[in-house]
Amino acid sequence: MKKIFYYSALCLAIAAGSSCSKIDNDAAPSSTITGSTIDEGTGQTVQTEIGSGGTRVKLLETSYSANPVPIYFQSKQDGTFENTKVFAATYKVSVEGPFVPIVQTDNTGALLSDSSQNIVLKNTANLNFKVQPFLRVEWVGKPVVNADNSVTVQVRVTRGTANPNYVSDITDINLYVSNTQYDGSNNYDPRYSKLTSYSGSTGTALLGQVITLTTTGGSLPAQDVYFRVGARINAGLNEYNYNTPVLAAHQ
Amino acid sequence: MKKYKILLLAICLLTGFSACRKLDIPPKNIIQDPDVFGSPGGITAYMARIYSELPIEDFRYTPDMGLNFFWIIKPTSATTGEALSRDQTGSSSENFNDWHWDVWGGNYTTIHDCDYFIETLPKYASTFSAAQINAWLGEAYFIRGMTYFALVKRFGGVPIVNKVLNYTPGSSVTDLNVARASEQAVWDQVASDFDFAIANLPASNADNSDGSRANKYVAAAFKSRAMLYAGSIAKYNTITLFDGSKNQLCGIPASAAASYFQKAYDAAKLLDGAYSLYLSGWSATDKNAQYQNFVNLFSDAASKENVFVREYQYPNSVHGYDAYYVPRQLMGPNGYSSEVNPTLDFVEKFDGIPKNTNGTIKTLDANGNYLLFNNTMDIFANAEPRLRATVILPGDVFKGQNIEIRRGIYTGSASSGIGPLLPAGSKSQYPTTNLVVSSNSGQTAYTLPDGTLMNPAGLSGIFTGDQTCAISGFSVRKWLNPNLATSQVLENNETQTWIEMRYAEVLLNKAEAAIELQSLGQTSGISVSDPATIVNQIRSRAGANPLTGLATIDTVRAERRKELAFENKTYWDLKRWRIFNKEQNGTIYRVLMPFFSSQAGKYFFDQRTDERNDVYTYDSRWYYEQIPGGAISKSNNIIQNPGY
Repeated sequence: MKKIFYYSALCLAIAAGSSCSKIDNDAAPSSTITGSTIDEGTGQTVQTEIGSGGTRVKLLETSYSANPVPIYFQSKQDGTFENTKVFAATYKVSVEGPFVPIVQTDNTGALLSDSSQNIVLKNTANLNFKVQPFLRVEWVGKPVVNADNSVTVQVRVTRGTANPNYVSDITDINLYVSNTQYDGSNNYDPRYSKLTSYSGSTGTALLGQVITLTTTGGSLPAQDVYFRVGARINAGLNEYNYNTPVLAAHQ
Repeated sequence: MKKYKILLLAICLLTGFSACRKLDIPPKNIIQDPDVFGSPGGITAYMARIYSELPIEDFRYTPDMGLNFFWIIKPTSATTGEALSRDQTGSSSENFNDWHWDVWGGNYTTIHDCDYFIETLPKYASTFSAAQINAWLGEAYFIRGMTYFALVKRFGGVPIVNKVLNYTPGSSVTDLNVARASEQAVWDQVASDFDFAIANLPASNADNSDGSRANKYVAAAFKSRAMLYAGSIAKYNTITLFDGSKNQLCGIPASAAASYFQKAYDAAKLLDGAYSLYLSGWSATDKNAQYQNFVNLFSDAASKENVFVREYQYPNSVHGYDAYYVPRQLMGPNGYSSEVNPTLDFVEKFDGIPKNTNGTIKTLDANGNYLLFNNTMDIFANAEPRLRATVILPGDVFKGQNIEIRRGIYTGSASSGIGPLLPAGSKSQYPTTNLVVSSNSGQTAYTLPDGTLMNPAGLSGIFTGDQTCAISGFSVRKWLNPNLATSQVLENNETQTWIEMRYAEVLLNKAEAAIELQSLGQTSGISVSDPATIVNQIRSRAGANPLTGLATIDTVRAERRKELAFENKTYWDLKRWRIFNKEQNGTIYRVLMPFFSSQAGKYFFDQRTDERNDVYTYDSRWYYEQIPGGAISKSNNIIQNPGY
C-alpha cells in the first residue's frame, strides 16, 4: 500500500515538473509605432488632452480579418504618440481627435475619403498624419499676473478647416488653470478656471479676434500654475482643441 | 476471484439487456413545455419571470450599479443635477462592467424568453380561449418591445432577434452572430411590438387590473414614450456610425423625426378618457390639500393616474429607498441617510419662491445685505405645493419632526445688516471667523446672547466634516414613506410601489410631441393651444402658476423635469434632448445654506456653489453607451460605438 502511494506521488511529481516545460505563448509584443498628428496648415502637432477625451490612434489588423476589432492607444498631450508594445503585424492606422476625420463618410455611410495609412509593422514605424484641426488656439503674448494676483491671458482662435461639415459655431472657450502641465477639460482647478459657453454665433464672432481671459476666484496660490486655453465646436464627440500649456507664477 | 467474475458478468447481463427498454422518457426533474404552457398557472409563472426581468429603472436602479440591485447610494438624480449625493461626485455614464448587471446578456435573455413564449404558446391554443391567447401574446410582445427599448436607448442599433436561435451541433455559428441592425430599424421594432400589444391586449388585464400587468393602454403609453425618444434622436442627435453595409447604427435621419413624433402623439391620445390625473384630495383653494394630494399620489393604490407599476412585497421583493434617502435626523438602524439632496438649481425651477430678475432665489436686500427670517421656512412660505411634496425644505415637517437644516451660527455683528460671507460667485470655503459650525452630528451647543443653547448645525446638517447630511440644504421628499417607523427604515425592507408610468407623463409626452410636430410644420389635427392646456392641467394640480399664452418646447420640458423629478426619468430626457453635455459643461451645482445670526436672532440664507467643488462634465460619447467588451469578443459582427 505504501509503495503504491510513493509511486503515485512520484508520478504526480514528474507530471507536475514536466507539464510546465513548454510555454505555449507568443513572444511579447515588442514592435513600436511612433508618430504625430500634424496640422497641415501650420506644420505643428495638434495639441490635445490626455485621457479618453483626446486624440487616439486606431489600429486595424487587416491581415487577420476584413472586419477586425480595432485596437486603440491614446496620443500624448502634445500631439505625438508612441506605443512600444505592439505586435508585429499588418495594420491600417488612423487617428481620431478634434480634427476633420481621417475617414470621412457622408450622411448615408458612403465613404468620401480615407487617408488611413497601411503598414506592415516590423520593429518600428513612424507615422505622421496631416489633419485639419477644427480650431487653432494660439497665445497672444504671455500670461500677465495682475495686481490682485489673478492672471490674464490673451489668445486668438481661428479655424483650421474650411470643410463645410466642420465649421459649426464655437460653443466653448475655456481658460484652464492647473498645478500640473496636464491641463485640460478633464483636469483643471474649478476655483480659478474661467469657463465660457456660447450660444448661437456669439462665440463664432470671436474668431480671429484677440480674446482676453482672466482667472476667476481672486488671488492664485503662490506656486507654479499652468495655463491653457481650450476651444471647441459642436462636432463629432465635442473634443477640445488647445494651445500649449504655459507656466506662470507669482512670487 | 472467480466469484467476482461471475458477479461482474451478471451485472453486465442485467444492465445490458433490461435497461435500454425505456430511456426515452421526459426527465422528471426538468419542467417541460406542457407543464408551463398547459395551464393558466404555468403561464402565470412564466409571466412572473419575464415581468421581473422587465428592464425598468425603478427603486433598485442606479446608473452606477444598474438594474435590480439593492444598493442605490449613487442615485440617478445625483447624475442629472436634480440632486447632490456624497457618493456621486461628477457626471456619469451607466456602468456595465460590474458583475451585477449584464445589460447585454440579460436583455437578450429576456428577448429570448419572449421569443420562446411567442413561438410556443400557439401550439397550446386548443387549451385556452382565443382571448386568453391574444392577451398573453400581447404581454410577451409588450415585454419584448420594452426590452428592445431599453437596449436601443442605451446603444443605438442592436441585433434584432425575433426568433429563438438554436445551435445544431456541427453547424456553423456564423448565423447565430446576428449583426447590429440600424438604430431606426430597432425603434421601428419597438413600435411594431407595442402595436401588436395594443391590438391584442384587453383594455383591462383580468389577472391584475392595478397596473402591475400590461393592458392595451399600458402598451400605448410606453409607445408614446419610446416614439418621443426616437423622434428626439432623429431631431437632436449629431453622433453617427455606419457599418460596412451602410446601416446607420447610431443616429436616425432627421427626415424621420416627424413620423416618430406623430406616433408618440397618436399613442398618447389613445389614453384619453381611460386614465386621469390624481385629484382625490385636491382643492383649488387649499395649498395644503394640493401638497397632500401630490404626496398621496405616490402611495394611493387606487389612483387612476397609475398606468404601469412595479409592486414590492416583503420579503420576496424589497427595496431600500427610505433607508438611503431619509433626512439625517430620521436615520434608520443601518446608518444610511440623506443620499439625495436636491440642488438649488432644481428648487429654483418651481414657483412661489422670491426670485431675482435672473431667476435665482432672492436672499439679499436692496443694500446687498442678507434678508433675515424668523424661521427657515419663511422664505418658502408661498412655495408651490408640488415643490414641498418633492423636496424637504429646511424647517418643513416630515414624520412629525421639523427637519432642521442649518449650516452654522453667525456670531458677527448684525446691527447694520449682514453682508455676504463670500464675494458673489466665489468657490472658496467659508471664512472661519464669526462662524460656529459642527463637523459632525456630535455637536457642542453654542450659548446664544439670550442664554439659550443652540447646536451650530441642524439635526439634519449641514456638517463640515462628514457629508451624511443635507449637503445642498435640502433633502428629498418624493416617494418617502411617512408612515414607516424609524426602526423599520432598513435596507431591503421597503415595499412602496414604483410607478413606472403615470398619466401625467403621457400628457406631457403628448404636449411635447405636439410642439415638436408644430416646429416641423406638421400641424394637422393638433390644436396650437393643446400643449398649453396640458401644461396647465399639470400646473393646476401642482398648485403652480398657470401658463399664460402658448407653450413652447422650453416650458414643456421645464414642466416635465419638475413633475417627473426623482422618478429616474430626467436622466433619459437629458440624454434624448442631447443637452446633457450643455448642462454639465464644467458645471458646479448650487446649494442654499441657512445660517442663524446669533446677534439678530434670525436666519439668513447664503446661495453658493457646492462646497465640495464637484465638477460635472458630461462626455458626449455617453449618448451612445459603450457596448460591453464581452458582447464584442463573442461576435465580431458587433461594432463598438464611437469613441470607445
